[in-house]
Amino acid sequence: MAEVHVIGQIVGGSGFPESSLFCKWKVQMGSAWRVLQGDQEGQTQVDDPSDEPMANWCHPIDLHFATKGLQGWPKFHLQVWHQDAYGRNELYSYGFCHIPVSPGYHELDCVTWRPKGTLIEELKTQFIGGSSQLKNPDLVSSSAELYKLRTVSMGKVHLRLHIIVRDFEKYGVEF
Amino acid sequence: MSTKPTSFLVFINGSIENAEVNDYDELYLRFSYVIGKDWEICSGLDEGTTQIAHKSVQVGSKIVFNFPLEVTFRATNPFGWPQLVLSGYGLDTFGNDVVRGYGTTHIPINPGRHRVRIPLFTPRSSSRFQQFLGWIMGRRPEFVDPKVVAFNAGREMTRVRSHGYVQVVFNVVTKDMDALGYRIQSKHALPTGSKQSENTDSAQADNHYS
Repeated sequence: MAEVHVIGQIVGGSGFPESSLFCKWKVQMGSAWRVLQGDQEGQTQVDDPSDEPMANWCHPIDLHFATKGLQGWPKFHLQVWHQDAYGRNELYSYGFCHIPVSPGYHELDCVTWRPKGTLIEELKTQFIGGSSQLKNPDLVSSSAELYKLRTVSMGKVHLRLHIIVRDFEKYGVEF
Repeated sequence: MSTKPTSFLVFINGSIENAEVNDYDELYLRFSYVIGKDWEICSGLDEGTTQIAHKSVQVGSKIVFNFPLEVTFRATNPFGWPQLVLSGYGLDTFGNDVVRGYGTTHIPINPGRHRVRIPLFTPRSSSRFQQFLGWIMGRRPEFVDPKVVAFNAGREMTRVRSHGYVQVVFNVVTKDMDALGYRIQSKHALPTGSKQSENTDSAQADNHYS
């Protein structure tokens, strides 16, 4: 079995309408993959930056995968949430990002989007807060069903990841 | 007669260079390393404290530490790769020692010289009144154990304000990672003078992570 280590951080998010953000993250992978060590999901701290446009989460990621095949290479599902002054949480956006395939250091910007509702729903979001959410968040990375959605762009999530691979040469895989 | 190694070594040296902060003029940092259970420190300090450093009178000056770091780790598994955890403290207007920020980064994996810019963040009080009390009494919210910022668990409960950065330079050398089958660079890797990044910057002397 070949192994992949993902070591790095979800550094922060920028380009969102307001700060005071946090990120829920989850790793999704195909059936050939298994997580040997590390947490598969988590939630970052809520950061309200004092003078920077970027919310800093610095959330550590340390995952150890074992795999029998290349299909279903793991990816991150990200959800950026906003916490307002009263402590209410509302979803800002969804995004997904494949874990880089080559060993080494990578800086990634994961773009995100949110579902766009009808005119009434958008007005509600504007005045009352809250937002339209997907019934099934796994839709974010399913290429077959996204055509049904209408979405609005949101900001970016920044990640810094180091990838270490092991024993792929035995299977003839070249990086 | 070649015996296959059973563990690999990661040798780090470098320095905590400076801190960029706007609101205050002096700072000292405590640093420590958080490592997994398959890791151990063979040599070097695993925690320490820098000097108390002040800004100079020039506008836009940074707080310079130039504090040496040197440590060697031995491990059998890259899981639990070491993280440098920093916690900064300084005096407030009343002369109390208060926390100025926490930050963490993984030690870079690729051999070479790396410059990392670590954001600092402090826990926020639960309410405005608590914030005022903390300011008056000099007892601001702080983490009981600074190492918690290097872990995934429990972070969703923390609300922080980020402010300022610390720049750290790492020089990294590894031994026996190849012999154990770990590949940390692709065959077509760019030379260590540039970084693999989606933003193309001009190549600099060290790898810059900002």
